Formats: sequence, structure tokens, C-alpha cells
Amino acid sequence: MTSVVTSLPELKEIEDFLYLEASYLDRADLDNWLDLYTEDCTYWMPLDEDQDDPLNHASIMYENRDLMEIRKRNLKNQWAPSKHYKVRSTHIISNIRIQDRCEVSGDCTVTSQFLALMRYKTNHLFGGAYRHELKRVDDSYRIRYKRVTLVDCDAPLETIIMYL
Amino acid sequence: MSKYSTEELSAMVEPTRYHRKLFVDEDIFDLEMERIYGRAWIYIGHESQVKNPGDYVTTRIGVKNPVVMVRDGNGKDIHVLHNRCGHKGATVVNRECGNVTRFRCNFHGWTFRTDGKLVGTPHATGYQDCGFDRNNPQYNMPGVSRQGEYRGFIFASLSEEGPELETFLGEVKSSFDNMVERSPEGRLELVGKGFRYVKNSNWKAFMDNLDDAMHPMVTHQSVGEACEDYLREMGEVSDPKLKKIVEILNPFISSYEFFDEMGVTTCAYGNGWTGGEASIHSEYDEIPGYRKLLVEAYGEEKARRILSVNRHNTIVYPCMTLKGAIQNIRVVRPVSVNKSIIESYSFRPVGAPEELLQRNILYSNLVNSPASLVGNDDAEMYERLQLGLQDEAGDWMDTHRYLNRDKEVKPGVFTAPGTSDLSFRNMYKAWKEYMMQEAA
Ligand SMILES: [Fe+2]
Repeated sequence: MTSVVTSLPELKEIEDFLYLEASYLDRADLDNWLDLYTEDCTYWMPLDEDQDDPLNHASIMYENRDLMEIRKRNLKNQWAPSKHYKVRSTHIISNIRIQDRCEVSGDCTVTSQFLALMRYKTNHLFGGAYRHELKRVDDSYRIRYKRVTLVDCDAPLETIIMYL
Repeated sequence: MSKYSTEELSAMVEPTRYHRKLFVDEDIFDLEMERIYGRAWIYIGHESQVKNPGDYVTTRIGVKNPVVMVRDGNGKDIHVLHNRCGHKGATVVNRECGNVTRFRCNFHGWTFRTDGKLVGTPHATGYQDCGFDRNNPQYNMPGVSRQGEYRGFIFASLSEEGPELETFLGEVKSSFDNMVERSPEGRLELVGKGFRYVKNSNWKAFMDNLDDAMHPMVTHQSVGEACEDYLREMGEVSDPKLKKIVEILNPFISSYEFFDEMGVTTCAYGNGWTGGEASIHSEYDEIPGYRKLLVEAYGEEKARRILSVNRHNTIVYPCMTLKGAIQNIRVVRPVSVNKSIIESYSFRPVGAPEELLQRNILYSNLVNSPASLVGNDDAEMYERLQLGLQDEAGDWMDTHRYLNRDKEVKPGVFTAPGTSDLSFRNMYKAWKEYMMQEAA
């Protein structure tokens, strides 16, 4: 019971949800951001473009809810020297496509492209592909899985201070 | 002519301090590339990266010497060649890795065997009767002055002179041994791609930090506290995944006493390590079935010994560090006086349970990634060094801790409490030795 083509209202709803997530990231508001994720969520930023194994190969980030909770607390800790600077960003999301959708549950897999200009001491430009697996909850969604494949994932990278 | 005389350079390192210029002066950086990176044994790669005839990987030594490590067509030898065409001088190999029968320069089509020997020059009639001798070695991709291998790790030196690789490694050979022997088959395989973390700091900021046991509980305090805050909210931790995360992150805020107890050891050429039987790695949970595999492979006594070595960071000066207990190495590639790339590679201990590799990977993600909670704070502190050291208000970086508390346990091998500045003093002694030798 899955379909690739979806009607406009559903796409609009999902777009709005992705924009909401991005707005929390733009403000580095991890409290609200993490509330959009399920308890059994995964956030994955692979080190290699086509990486399919997060366990036996290094990843820039491969986090479950526990790690995300720890990172959230670390961000606010006054003793974290790398966190003494304001982090702001602007995420532009485009090319949003619903790859898969279950008519029964409403769960769906959505791909998109993004660009994020992040101010952290200096400006950093990130770009790449998102893959969201969304769980339908009431009249909204929760993120069960998010993959962020950076265009330069396997290049030398400076500090990445914030989720993208 | 160098901007600094040997006397001036010598005066920049004293027994208990070294000069700020070592971190911010471009002329000194250039001299270091010439006199340290141009002479010392520099880590190039691991044999498992070039398993098959014609397999190659590219890297560089210091800033100005692109090299290629390649498995000879004969399948046996490994060559480290200057990545430079003998014709007009362009780099020949420009992918990070690959496989070739012959190297071919994309400019004028000269081709080279995997040992660097020139074998083909297109439209060769133009070279008749003009004095061109294709067998003149100047036309080859030249091999580095010296290369060496220890337990699968390939090193190169751009200098004809200097100690043999094994003499240079000396006591730190035992750290390589331990890492290799953690594989029941005595074999390591590099796993896929590694991190390349760009740090806006001098290469020595990273090297200094490796055995600096006075920084973790301060620089990384927030990581430990974030863990503790979360655990307090969670109540009891039963989830095995969370346990693994905590097991890796929490030791970073161990006490001063713990780090003192762990000890630091130094030997010749700036090399050494922190930790011994105890370190931030020694309290990891045992991986089911792993000890049994080691006992089967090595016998009870040796297996016990292998598992009892839990060193923290082993320093191979000036370019790398390794962690035997978690099969990880990091390599410093200097870029400029205030920029370096830190590469991090994980190895699969062949024959060990998959869970061991998975813990190594988890450690690396948590500690060595450009998004690491631990590594971000180190990078930040290195950057602050670069900022503060530009100021001429003060000239020195201090290394007094536990001076005169060193014990010489073997000729040339010293130990001290773990928070001693012994490792700093040892590295800057080596720095001075390299830098005092003018070009031959
Ligand atoms: Fe650190």
C-alpha cells in the first residue's frame, strides 16, 4: 500500500514540516528541534557519499536519541569552549520529493536538497541532500530517521558545530 | 640563507619553556618543513591500502612533497615515489587512490612503471639524435630517499641520513605491536575512508595536546557534565548502546589523580606515550568472545599481556599518533603556520569480533570527527593558542610540570606522573635537535 506520486495537499504539509524543522536549526533551538524526533530516531551524517553501513565505517555523525540528548546538553554547558560563540544559520530547502508513502499509516520517506549558510565565528556554507523518514503522528509528523549527505562529506572539513 | 641562525633557533627552546614564535612565525614553519618533515620518518600509509599489484594511494610529506605509495606490478614490493613527472614536473597521479598498470602523465603522455622508471615517451622519433637518454634516472618518478615498514605501517624519509626506521621508533614499536596483536591473526586492515579535520592551528598544537593530561578534565568538562546531566535524568542506565557511549565519553573527565597514576613515558626522537595498564580506554566492557579468540591465538599468558596494555596516545614525532587499544591512528598534515589537517583512520583487527571494530568506529565518531563534541573543544583551544600567541606581551609557553620527577627506566626511556610536562619537554628537545642541523 505505497505510492510514489502524491497529491498536492500532502506535499504542502510535508514541506511545511521540513521548514519548521529548518527554522529550529536556524536558531540553534535544539529543545524544540529534538521534540520533532521520535524516541527511536537516528540522525546520520555519513562520511562517504554512498555509505550504507554506519556501524563498521566512520561517520561525521551517527547518533541515536541518547547522543542527541547529550549533544543538546553539551551545547548549553558553559564550560564547552567551542560553544562560546553564537551559532546562526539559514537553511534553504528545495527539490522536495515524496519517495514513498504508506496510505494506511501516512508514514513517508522524503528527499530534498539543502543549502545552509552557518555563522559560527566565520561563515560556513554547507550543502547536500536530506533524506527524512517521517512518522505520521496525529495531524503532523515526527522524524524517525534523517540522513544528511554533504556534498563535501569526504573532504577535509572544519568544525561542524551544529546539526544540519 | 635562513632568517634564523642556529643560535637563535636554539634559544627558542629552553628546558622549561619554548618560544611563542614556534607557533606563529611563517619562517620557522618553512624551516620546520625543511628540517623536521624533510628529515624525519613520516607516515605514508598502511599496506592494506595497496593489497593488489598496481594499487596506489596519494598523500604528501610536509607541504611541498606530493608522493604516491604503490604496490609494484610484482605484487610484493611497495614503493613510495615522488608524485612528479620526470618530463616537465607535473604531478602524475591525482586521484586519492586507484589501480594502475603504469602511471601515465596527462600532460605529454610519459608513462612510468610502478617502481617509477620511465618506460614510454610518445612520438619518440623527436628524441633521436638529440642527446636525450631515456635511461637517465632524472626522467623517472623518483623514489623517496628512504622508506621503511613496521608491521604493515609504511614510512618515508626525504633524507638519506638519519636513524633506521626501527631505531627511530625504538620503544614505541611496542605500541604498534600491541595494536597489531589485538588482532587474533596479527593483521590490521584499514577501514574505508578516514576523517580529515581541518584545524586552524599549528601542527604542534595537535602534537602537544596528545599527551597533555592536564587538559581533558578542563577542556572536555562539558562533555562529561552533559553525559552526567542526561544520565541523572534517565535514572539507571540499562541500554547497552548508551552504556557504550558513556564508557567512551566519561573517562575524559577523569581526575588529576587518575591521569597522574596512568603515567607518561618518553624515548628518543620526541616519541613516547601516556598511559600503560590504565588509561581512558582501560575500563571498557569486555567484548563477548574476544578474549577467548586471543587465548586461542596467542596462549593464556600472552593474551593477558596484550589486553593489559591500554596506552592512551602514542606519539610518533612529528607526524602521527596511535591508540593500540582501539586500533586507531591519527596523522598530522601541516598546511601552513596556522592550519593543519588531522586525518583519523580506524583499522579492523582481522579475526576479532565485529563488535570490537564497531566500538572503535563509535569512539572515532565521538572523538575524532569534525563534528565531535570532544574534538571541537580541542580545535577551539588550539585556535585560541594561535590568537593569543600573536601577542608579543609574552614570549613563552611553559613546561615546568613535574620537572625533576622523571625516572630513567631504561637508557633513554623516562617515565613520570601522567600530568608531567615530560612529553612536551621531550618533543621540543627533538624539535631543537632537528632544527639545529642546517642543510647539508
Ligand atoms: Fe582533548
